[in-house]
Amino acid sequence: MTGNGEKEKAAPDDRSFTKGLSPLQLIEIDACTQCGECLKYCPVQDVTGNPLISPPEKIRVFREFIKATDGLKARLLGPQHIDRKLLEDFTKAVYECTTCGACGQHCTVGIFTQRLWPMLRKEMVRRGLGPIGPQANLPKVIGETGNPYNRLAVERFAPWFPEDVKVSEKAAIAYYAGCTGAYEATPMVRGDVLVLGAIGEPFTMLPAEDEVCCGFPLFITGQHDMLEDLVSRLVAAYRAKGVKTLLCSCPCCVNIMSRDWPLFYKKELPFRIRHITQFVAAAMKSGKLAIKKELRERLIYHDPCYLSRGVGIMEEPRAVLRGIPGAELLEFDRNRLESRCCGAGGAARKIFSENAIEMGRHTIAEAVEKKADKLVLSCPACYAKVNEAMVGYDKQIEIVDIMELLAKMIEAVDSGTP
Amino acid sequence: MSLILISIAYLAYAAFWVRLSLHAVVWLRAARQQAAGPSAAPGKPLHAFAMTLIDLLLFRRLFASNKPLWLGSWAFHTAFFIVILRHLRFFLEPVPDCIVRVQPFGVFAGYLMAFSLAYVIFLRTATKTKYVSYQNYIILGLVFLISATGLLMRNYFPPDLVDVKSFVMGLVAMRPAPLPAGFFFSLHFFFVLLLVPFLPFHLFTAPFVAFEARKREFRLDKVMHDR
Repeated sequence: MTGNGEKEKAAPDDRSFTKGLSPLQLIEIDACTQCGECLKYCPVQDVTGNPLISPPEKIRVFREFIKATDGLKARLLGPQHIDRKLLEDFTKAVYECTTCGACGQHCTVGIFTQRLWPMLRKEMVRRGLGPIGPQANLPKVIGETGNPYNRLAVERFAPWFPEDVKVSEKAAIAYYAGCTGAYEATPMVRGDVLVLGAIGEPFTMLPAEDEVCCGFPLFITGQHDMLEDLVSRLVAAYRAKGVKTLLCSCPCCVNIMSRDWPLFYKKELPFRIRHITQFVAAAMKSGKLAIKKELRERLIYHDPCYLSRGVGIMEEPRAVLRGIPGAELLEFDRNRLESRCCGAGGAARKIFSENAIEMGRHTIAEAVEKKADKLVLSCPACYAKVNEAMVGYDKQIEIVDIMELLAKMIEAVDSGTP
Repeated sequence: MSLILISIAYLAYAAFWVRLSLHAVVWLRAARQQAAGPSAAPGKPLHAFAMTLIDLLLFRRLFASNKPLWLGSWAFHTAFFIVILRHLRFFLEPVPDCIVRVQPFGVFAGYLMAFSLAYVIFLRTATKTKYVSYQNYIILGLVFLISATGLLMRNYFPPDLVDVKSFVMGLVAMRPAPLPAGFFFSLHFFFVLLLVPFLPFHLFTAPFVAFEARKREFRLDKVMHDR
């Protein structure tokens, strides 16, 4: 109620469930045939078996929400009541998803679900229903510390950064470590830096207090308010260092940087974004980086969802691994665009940890079944969760990040290890 | 009876357009609200268009996912399309030559439509599917009834086709003629009227989404390999 006692009325557009969605996404919601084929590929379905949290059911329920605010009855009589429990159940379903996009990849119509689910989350945030659990603290934590893990900036690089690698004050190439790598998957980012050092091209980095979150955790949980600010800060900082190529190994960071930073920055970025495997594969091809030591092992590479389906990086990691003398590269049954989520995606891994562990174990089990010696990952979230999934699991395999592995190969030669 | 069915026909027609308009309003409002920003690189639109045509004509995506279902679904949709073409003879005067030529195929398509539909319904109920859309079953059931009554008329209870044509053309011209005699015609027509307001929207939107999906596929390689 307002001060003068008049009933406060939201503008019709504010009540609508369609406010945050693009025309294409609304058409996609209409285009779902409800065939249910996507359920065969949904990793959450594999571990929960609950069709109520499936892609077609989420779309069906969201259609009901749209009907309640934009249907004929709503237009004639005003927005219809929606059961609170239905809204809450839907919110939980949309956050339990790992947003891996496998449903969209196999959609019989071609709905871009890897983008649709985050936008539905955003709508639930706008309504005060999402995000769920500790995800709600992300804006505050990132605002205060610059990262989603509530860790100090001084802990960002110091514990893992190799002493002998030189970082230039200014350079055309910059490396962004990313929060998950820097705080939760340190062997991975250490590997990145060691490999960059071995290539020998000058590269720069932002000081720990300036290398803030790329915005992905906020984006993926539907909390978009801070994104413009974070993106502007980071872009300005890299621009000031004369950066022309920004390297990063985290698929989620790379995804938001290449796909969404220009939207939040409101113009083209002044530098290009590259995944570290692109840079390293090119360096190996040009001879700037040569792996001399042999590795007579069978490696199986897992495609991170946001790297393969997200931005189309599939061949470069394989080129890097094939560049290791003696190594045999195996493939998961579902690989590249078809890859199966390891459970770490969509900011669901800490809220729905049991699901994520189960999914991670599916990945481990297949790698073991294929008699791989090493399970090679290239995502810090995958790295953290699949390692966690291995604890207490009867199937065991060595998990290694792609750059961690490469760095070991380089270090072995440098130190003269046979 | 005649007056009731004619009234229902106009109501169903109006309901269809109201439903379509409400959806269009939502799409247009979203287009107006959409924030401007750097647009994605065009993804070979002509190539994407050609590939989308193949996707749509052959149901490529469903083929990749579920071949037994693809067989039934593709046969059903193709047969349905041919049956609609065959029915155009009731709506057009003179009947175009191409519609005349399609008539024999239309009869075959009528059978194919009923059998493929029965096969799809069997497949969806007999095989262990994780997700069941009851709305889909209602629509499939309705189409099956339309198909079955059509075949019954074709084989056992033929209506007077001249009466049918006058009736249909009268409806279209807003000068309704009397309902043709025959219980099965009334039933067939009634089921069609039931279906019209509930036509699945993917019939109209899926081609556009499939085209966007193709463009997105072509663009994927450009996201990180652009410059």
